[in-house]
Amino acid sequence: MGDQNNPDREWKKGGAELLILSLLEQQARHGYDICKLIEARSAGALRFHVTTLYPLLYRLEERGLVQGRWVEKPNQRRRRYYSLTAEGRRMLALQRQSWQAFVEAMGRVMGVENA
Amino acid sequence: MPDWKLEVERRLAAQRLDASRRNAIVDELSQHLQDRYQELLSAGAGEAEAYREVLEELENSDRFAAGLPAGLRRPGRELPAQGGTPSGNLAVDFLRDVRYGFRSMVKAPAFSFFAVLTLALGIGATTTVFTLVNTLLLHPLPVHDPSRLECVYTTEVKGHGQSGNLLPTSYLNLKDYQARNSAFSGVGGFSPPLVTTLSEGTATERFFGQLVTSDYFETLGIAPVRGRFFRRGETSTPGSAPVAVLSYNAWKIRFDRAPDIVGKTLAINGIRFTVIGVAPPGFLGISAVFGPDVWLPATMARQVLPPALQDILTDRGKPFFEAVARLKPGVSRRQAEADLQTIASSLRQQYPDENAGRTVSVEPVTTALFSTTGGERGVALASGVLLVIVGLVLLIACSNVANLLIARAVGRRQEIAVRLAIGANRWRLFRQLLTESVVLGVLGGIGGLAIGYEGCRFLWSFRPAEVARNMVDPRIDPTVFLFALALALATSFIFGVAPSLRASRTDLVGGLKEEAHLAAAGGRSGRFQKVLLTGQVALSLVLLIAASLFLRAVERAYSIDPGFDVKNLAVFMMNPEQVGYDAVRLDEFHREVRQHVAAMPGIAAVSWASNLPFWSSPSRGVEKEGQAVRKAEALSAVTNTVDVDYFKVMGISLVQGRSFADGDREGSVPVVIINEDLARRYWPQGDALGKHVHLIGDDTLRQIVGIVKNSDYTTLGEAPQPCLFLPMRQNPGGNLNLYVRAADDPAAVLDEVQRAIKDLAPAVDVSDIRTGARLIDQILWPARIVLSLLGVFGLLALTLASVGLYGLLAYSVRSRQREIGVRMALGASRSAVLRLVLRQGMVLVAMGVAIGLALSLLIGRAFSRMLFGLSPADPLALMGASAVLLLVALLASYIPALAASRMEPMRALREG
Repeated sequence: MGDQNNPDREWKKGGAELLILSLLEQQARHGYDICKLIEARSAGALRFHVTTLYPLLYRLEERGLVQGRWVEKPNQRRRRYYSLTAEGRRMLALQRQSWQAFVEAMGRVMGVENA
Repeated sequence: MPDWKLEVERRLAAQRLDASRRNAIVDELSQHLQDRYQELLSAGAGEAEAYREVLEELENSDRFAAGLPAGLRRPGRELPAQGGTPSGNLAVDFLRDVRYGFRSMVKAPAFSFFAVLTLALGIGATTTVFTLVNTLLLHPLPVHDPSRLECVYTTEVKGHGQSGNLLPTSYLNLKDYQARNSAFSGVGGFSPPLVTTLSEGTATERFFGQLVTSDYFETLGIAPVRGRFFRRGETSTPGSAPVAVLSYNAWKIRFDRAPDIVGKTLAINGIRFTVIGVAPPGFLGISAVFGPDVWLPATMARQVLPPALQDILTDRGKPFFEAVARLKPGVSRRQAEADLQTIASSLRQQYPDENAGRTVSVEPVTTALFSTTGGERGVALASGVLLVIVGLVLLIACSNVANLLIARAVGRRQEIAVRLAIGANRWRLFRQLLTESVVLGVLGGIGGLAIGYEGCRFLWSFRPAEVARNMVDPRIDPTVFLFALALALATSFIFGVAPSLRASRTDLVGGLKEEAHLAAAGGRSGRFQKVLLTGQVALSLVLLIAASLFLRAVERAYSIDPGFDVKNLAVFMMNPEQVGYDAVRLDEFHREVRQHVAAMPGIAAVSWASNLPFWSSPSRGVEKEGQAVRKAEALSAVTNTVDVDYFKVMGISLVQGRSFADGDREGSVPVVIINEDLARRYWPQGDALGKHVHLIGDDTLRQIVGIVKNSDYTTLGEAPQPCLFLPMRQNPGGNLNLYVRAADDPAAVLDEVQRAIKDLAPAVDVSDIRTGARLIDQILWPARIVLSLLGVFGLLALTLASVGLYGLLAYSVRSRQREIGVRMALGASRSAVLRLVLRQGMVLVAMGVAIGLALSLLIGRAFSRMLFGLSPADPLALMGASAVLLLVALLASYIPALAASRMEPMRALREG
């Protein structure tokens, strides 16, 4: 995440939150899994460090959007899996809508410029 | 494999994390790093490369916390307890610190135990002495507004006779002061405590009574716990009011708190008195230490007093009552005195015979309260000395605990450095360490109260059992509790501030480098500890010297020659006239007992005398023949009515003339024997023998037939005072005590003598028996109390100081383990190591001893008045105390020195 003075910090943060929420929509995942998925699906364009990902996760958890749970599987070290809460799903739907509206608006503006 | 947890922890150490979640976060993060590391390895990266790449993940770890939700960042309960940030709420911080203080105490139980015990002993000793002060000096008189109470005494007009003495006032003068003054709202008179006989059926016992005027209780402003006090009307006609007020303790102990006590009758000196009330608890009359069992109206004097005193209500020349008076609002003591002196001067003109040369003096009520205990200043001085001494013990205890705390703080340097590293602020840390001291202090205070309570019981167990219910009870009240609490807090600061300040200034880097124990050996804190220890040694030496000086002084007091032979002497007290013996029967009784007891085996000599040794003896004016002076201007002499053989029994030698004989009886030539002091004052040329004297109020001229050596009459080691002896059979009617000289230890014959008297006169109570040795014991009672207190305090100080010395050396040996190991590895012999450690301890002790000796010599002067003439620089006391201290200190250093010399060099090097 950018430094404190960056004006689009909140957008980026909002974007990162949206990314995480959407990755958890289908199934519960642990932090490393989330990290890898973001990196893979963005083809390496988006990358999270430990020091940025986890504070985000904890903040989402604090707001009641995701829930973390320690899970111990046979032959594996225990991991903390995060899943969406009902509130999280509502928020995801909401953010998706506004994100799409935002992207469309951006597209139209930039399209006009380009046209 | 890299320890990811460690890496995470190291980077998060400076972050403010909620401690309860901290571990979970570290777990989760390190699991993440582990996963990443594994993946990089399996992708073919080298270990070093993978490691470096994973660590990049932790870049900007300082922002980690900034991104966290408030809930994880906000300091939880644990965090400030570890010296974290202030919550902004002092009370909350304080409670947290207290909790933490308790926890760290539990973590170091031995340390906590010794610290609390040390403090409890110090505070307990101080609380004991303070209770004494609280009882005697702060609350000596449980009455309404004692500051407005004054005492009224008769005194000599300047330049007359033995001026400066505060004398009692005669009943008639007192009544005049009462009626004519305009300064006081009330004036009450009271007699000295009188020995009376309380009989119940055939059983008799001694009962202390006090005659008081009807305004007495009203003037004091106290209320009875049962019944009522005397009424003005009922005590106006002499002999008309056989009523009595019991003391609270007499009611409680003698009558077992009988609920129906009011209305009961008591046979006192054969007269039936009706109990009308019980005085409130703690009220002893106008005395700080000794109170009567019963108060009787002054108008009953004739019925209660021995024949010689039966006319005190009508004879203006017989001073018998002290007076207590309450100032009217707005009137000062000086104004009141001026007012009474005007009355006194008109009384001088009205009754020149009785009042010539006499005036009146108004003194603070404390004068009377402490008249039997050497005056308020004497009591205050003794209490002051005791408080200072016990304060020294407390100071030693404090510095001991401070030393313990410093040693512990050195051990906790790492802990403290970690706290500082994770963001604790130093002021907050200091406050928290100080709170730990306060927790110790308060626990010590609680223990101290318990010890103080026991200490008082111990102290009060010294009071003579037969008058226990007449003596003041220790006053353990809220003042004492507050005092102990304040002391606990004050000591917490005294012993806590320096170590806390020191610890909170811990150098962060040094502390983390685990150099803690190295710093202790010779560092600044080591020096500070040495200074404290030297001070302790010095103070305990001062106490030991004080104790041994006092021991020597008391020893010396026991060897003071009272002028009579106390060895093998026994005194039996009885009051036959109080059970109805008239003059004829008394005379018969005295003769029979003397003959009977003298014939018993093991008895060397027997006699009777009116006075008791070391007791306030009656004084009477004595005039020499041909010298016409006024009653009030005659020389006042102790008078003692004695039987034949008295001087033989007492071992008082005759200087000139003869002793009394059987022929000195009613009808024969009236004779007296005087002591050297009286002879010297009236006949400085030494021609007293054969001259005549007469007693004031008695026209009989008596011839001096003998002169005897001076002896002590009122107290041990007193200045010589004039004394005059009258033969028993020329001065009948007084109450006499039986004096017996045994051939050997009198204890063996005490019972037999008592039984013999019982056989002759079953109704007479002879419960009070004293051997000569006990007489001396009793007179030295206060000195012995002070001595045992000093002894206890001195031992306590010695113990604390030597435990402190031991602790410091043991600690220093442990922290110098490596150095000692190196020395031994390089060839130092065991004895050299032993000497090294011993020297370290004994140098401090020697310095302490030098300072202590100097201090003792300085403050010894203040003591010198209490030492029965012993020099405060008495070499035996100084050397003895120093020797004891050095010996104990040597032992205390020898144990750790021995441990050091037995160290295995290799182990010492490995572990040190």
